[in-house]
Amino acid sequence: MPNKIIKSGLKLLENNIRDLFSNLLSLILRLCIISAIGLTFFYIFQWLAITANWKVVSSNVPLFAFGSFPSDQRWRPSLWIISLLFLSIFTLIGPNRKWLRRILPFAWISTIPIGIYLLSGGLGLLPVASRDWGGLSLTILLTGCSFLLSLPLGILLALGRQSKLLVIKHLSSLYIDSMRAVPLIAVLFFGQLLIPLFLPLGVEVDRVWRAVLAFTLFVSAYISEDIRGGLQAIPNTQIEAAETLGLNQFQITFFVLIPQALRIALPALANQAIGLFQNTSLMAILGLVELLGVGRSLLANPEFIGRYIEVYIWLASVYWLFCTFMAILARHIEQRMAIDKPNLVP
Amino acid sequence: MKQFNKLYFQLALLAAVFILLAILINNLTINLSRAGLEFSFSWLYRPASFALAEHPLPYSPSDSYAWALFMGWLNSLKVIIVSLFLATCIGVFMGLARTSNNTILNFTSAIYITIIRQTPLLLQLMFWYFVAFLGLRDNTFTPLKGILSISNQGIELLGLNLSSEFSALLFGLSVFAGAYIAEVVRGGILSVSTGQWEAFRSLGLPESSGLYKIIIPQALPAIIPGLTSQYLNLAKNSTLAIAVGYSDIYAVNDTVINQTGRAVESFIILLVSFLILNLIITNGMEIINRMTLNTNKYQ
Repeated sequence: MPNKIIKSGLKLLENNIRDLFSNLLSLILRLCIISAIGLTFFYIFQWLAITANWKVVSSNVPLFAFGSFPSDQRWRPSLWIISLLFLSIFTLIGPNRKWLRRILPFAWISTIPIGIYLLSGGLGLLPVASRDWGGLSLTILLTGCSFLLSLPLGILLALGRQSKLLVIKHLSSLYIDSMRAVPLIAVLFFGQLLIPLFLPLGVEVDRVWRAVLAFTLFVSAYISEDIRGGLQAIPNTQIEAAETLGLNQFQITFFVLIPQALRIALPALANQAIGLFQNTSLMAILGLVELLGVGRSLLANPEFIGRYIEVYIWLASVYWLFCTFMAILARHIEQRMAIDKPNLVP
Repeated sequence: MKQFNKLYFQLALLAAVFILLAILINNLTINLSRAGLEFSFSWLYRPASFALAEHPLPYSPSDSYAWALFMGWLNSLKVIIVSLFLATCIGVFMGLARTSNNTILNFTSAIYITIIRQTPLLLQLMFWYFVAFLGLRDNTFTPLKGILSISNQGIELLGLNLSSEFSALLFGLSVFAGAYIAEVVRGGILSVSTGQWEAFRSLGLPESSGLYKIIIPQALPAIIPGLTSQYLNLAKNSTLAIAVGYSDIYAVNDTVINQTGRAVESFIILLVSFLILNLIITNGMEIINRMTLNTNKYQ
């Protein structure tokens, strides 16, 4: 009997010691990891503040923003970017007036034609050829135009894939599946090299618009799958209710199904927009001087040779900032559009 | 009557698509014949007369274009398979770290995921190539003497030489895909109900074996579809190899088009080779999926 007590006492002691050691060990491990992280941050900070030579960035900010846009016309892209910024801040603050909120989507859509007008000129502004567009303004233009164009195409493809008409269903499925199987760079390459071959003699499409077309063809396939997911998530009772109200097929689709599908698909659509923003960088290896393209051309300049880290860190921060901002904006809109909110009651 | 309308509508649509295709192909043949490049694949047997830095099988510039393209395809396959393994390891580790209660691990993983997911892959690849590998200049980095050495010539691991282009692409792709896989793994683990965690804890199982024996097997059915789509994305993203000068299928195709001007034929070859790569990955994942479903059934 005492033997047993001693044994259990030993066991308890052993357990306590093991606990103590595991705590001590984990404490030491934790301290080690924290100091390693601290040291890494210290070295990164030291490098950023002292070792790095930021002249390559600071002396070329206009180039990163506007590319080789004529210097006396740079107010045009800056005006556009600043107005976009104001619009997004306005959206984030969230106006409380109902008519202001109604206007917001139209304001967002209208930024694209306004941007095209400001960049290309004409109608009172000095025309600027698209080969002079570049930098951040070109990146935003590519993203905005392609996304705006691929949204209706994606909706049509999603409806087509759900259609009861076999021909439409199979054509849409074929298009969506084959587009999703192909790498983006192949589609962009198709846009730059092969689209001119498919056009009749004498018809030429600008490089930038060929890129927009290729991005649209690619992204619409992905968007349509997201919207299809949204369409499938709508309960059947919605359709039945709409039918009871006497709406016809067209009205059901455009006033009942699509708005709800878009709302459900909003997070996925925001991800697509963010992905598109990042993917416009591929045009840097296909001959457009957008944000990454500016970085590449600067690194080829003998004055800034070898300044890779500075340029890449700068570009990465710009992309990161924009993508994070887009994500925040999307989350905000998503919360505003959530249905179970008291604003349904007038 | 309504049925007839639908039928005619579909027929008209089909006809419109065919007419559009016919017009485009007609334009194409006119443009190609003006350039003196009639559609044919006979040029594939002519000597390629360009060198490839990397080729898994014997290759010389006197070999045919077809062989050069096949080498490119094999190079693609090589980098895809190795990055699949590396990305899965990184992704699973980071995904588990993201769900763990350990603040440091959680924080590190969150930073990793946000940095990698919010910057373009192309930029990351250039960073790996120009900064991480070529930035070493003449310094050779030997963390484990005789086993691993890293220099601007690439990585030497146990006598196995990996070129700097291959290594940069491998790390760039794996780290990028790892961040997305981490999110898939996290989603899968969160999809297992908390009752399962409480159950194995109350049975006295330690955290680690509970995770491997109870949680992960239940999370797998939710993880594998997401994993498949990430693997397909990785395969598609591997075409960015051209930015770091690795001769994958797209880069070889690009060289071939620059030499021969056969853009349409090369594009078709590119699409077909991608179709085959996709089929390999989806079928492989289908087998894995069936295996995990079977093991789950008999547990």
